[in-house]
Amino acid sequence: MKTDVLVVGAGPAGIKAALTADRAGADVILIDESVFLGGQLRSQTQYFSNLPKNIDSGLGIEIYNELENQLNNSNITVFTNHTMVGSFKNGNIGVSNGEKVLEIQSKKNILAPGAQEEALIFPGWTLPGVMTAGAAQILVNREFVRPGNEAIMVGSNIFALEVALLLQQCGVSVKAIIEEQLNIQCKDTSKLGEIGNIPIFTSSRIKAARGRGKVEQVIIETPNGENELYVDLICVANGFRPILEPFEILNCEFTYKKGLGGWIPKYDNRFLTGNPNCYVAGNAAGITDLGPILLTGEIAAWNALGEIGLVSSIVVDKKIKNLWVELSRLEDEYVFKERLNLINNTSAIKY
Amino acid sequence: MDKSTIVCRCEEINIDEIETAIKYGAETFDDIKRLTRCGMGPCQSKNCIGPVNEIIANNTGKQLKDLPLTRMRIPVKPIKMKVLVTDIENSSIASVLAESVDEDGDNR
Amino acid sequence: MEIKQHPILEKTLQDDIYFYFNDKKMKAKKGQTVAGALMANGILEFGRSRKLNQARGLYCGVGRCMSCYVTINNQYHIISCTTLLEEGMKVYSNNSDPKVGRDVIEN
Repeated sequence: MKTDVLVVGAGPAGIKAALTADRAGADVILIDESVFLGGQLRSQTQYFSNLPKNIDSGLGIEIYNELENQLNNSNITVFTNHTMVGSFKNGNIGVSNGEKVLEIQSKKNILAPGAQEEALIFPGWTLPGVMTAGAAQILVNREFVRPGNEAIMVGSNIFALEVALLLQQCGVSVKAIIEEQLNIQCKDTSKLGEIGNIPIFTSSRIKAARGRGKVEQVIIETPNGENELYVDLICVANGFRPILEPFEILNCEFTYKKGLGGWIPKYDNRFLTGNPNCYVAGNAAGITDLGPILLTGEIAAWNALGEIGLVSSIVVDKKIKNLWVELSRLEDEYVFKERLNLINNTSAIKY
Repeated sequence: MDKSTIVCRCEEINIDEIETAIKYGAETFDDIKRLTRCGMGPCQSKNCIGPVNEIIANNTGKQLKDLPLTRMRIPVKPIKMKVLVTDIENSSIASVLAESVDEDGDNR
Repeated sequence: MEIKQHPILEKTLQDDIYFYFNDKKMKAKKGQTVAGALMANGILEFGRSRKLNQARGLYCGVGRCMSCYVTINNQYHIISCTTLLEEGMKVYSNNSDPKVGRDVIEN
């Protein structure tokens, strides 16, 4: 199977990259390992603003629905339930739905596998009833299942608070939010107002979760001593980490940048990785917010289009310049600085 | 933390086993993997790499940025051997076969 | 633990669908994954771990931790959180390793 551009991962970055390439006249194949498109955005009911200028603010799922609408009106070939499982000696990419392996020959690849939630270990963390905050959000917003009746949330970043709030709105009694650090991590004070009556324990951690076959009890260590709570759900929001396997398979180099989520693929100002045919986009290029995620998808796509020769370098340069200006405006200052730092150290990639 | 706390969910390797491997000289995730099977189960270290590297950092004083990643091999997701080897027309899969077959064609 | 009235989303899942878990008939909604359907029926334990025989269930929800393995229609080690439920599916908990010899001969 041949195509101009193969996009791996149909989250917001991948969809945006695919749409950008499609509109410029490229043949595009978009694959995702899930049966659902949109990645986590498909399951998000929080409100997103601070988006690129051609996208309206809204709930995550509304923004996803608009992207899906645009996908349906495009010529993009979409394969859901297809995972990139490996590469061939000739550089082609192997994609499988578990029944068959497709070999895809593309001129350029845009890898947008996204991020995964970082694990947090404590005694009993393998018990049913302990799950990532993302899993709880999926259960509520996509599966329409209440994941428990009485819960605690571990972590106090914005995602943790958003999911805690969602659980509470569904009738789950959220008994506590536990934060290991000295301070609450969420900088959005309005979010803190919304969660109102849920007690937040800082400088605290889980000592153990207990139960027979499922979580029944959790013991938390706070500066004021130990606290036993009877809960059947422990949600863990321990931050995100870029997904790297597709990059390793395609021989991209890696580097460590704390502000971008730890180990990430090296890339230059075109979002081109150590493999001259592979671009990176989205959270895999550094953990960031929805607006910047969408922009990185666009930047990667324009660069790929220019390299293939479907768009003139003058047009590409103009597009990219504007997108970078917008990225610097939308992205968290520290994250953007780390990104620039990475790019400035990446000119050493040789082909 | 309780040393019997599981770190690798798949192979059920606990903190004590990882710290023992470090005492025996393990310096990286892949060292620990070879000594304990940590990270060799169905998830292929996708979940334990972070916690294990933290344990290494805490025990050795090294910084996380100085601890290398684990080697990530294809297939990146569990897939039936049958699918992988029979249903591909051009079956010269790059890293699995190139790695496991030496120049004489013998399997290592 | 089905959510009949969602606090934010107006459109919920509508059509009923039936499946079996460990030979017991259960009801779920079309559009749910196997993991979602099990949890909707109050089942948290999807299987036991291989070495310590401990309970396992949904953890990451995105097909990366393999903690939610189940057996579906005689196929072992199916990731229940990324598999859509189908009418009449026979789901069993992931309680032991497959008998490899027999399975290879049968397939």
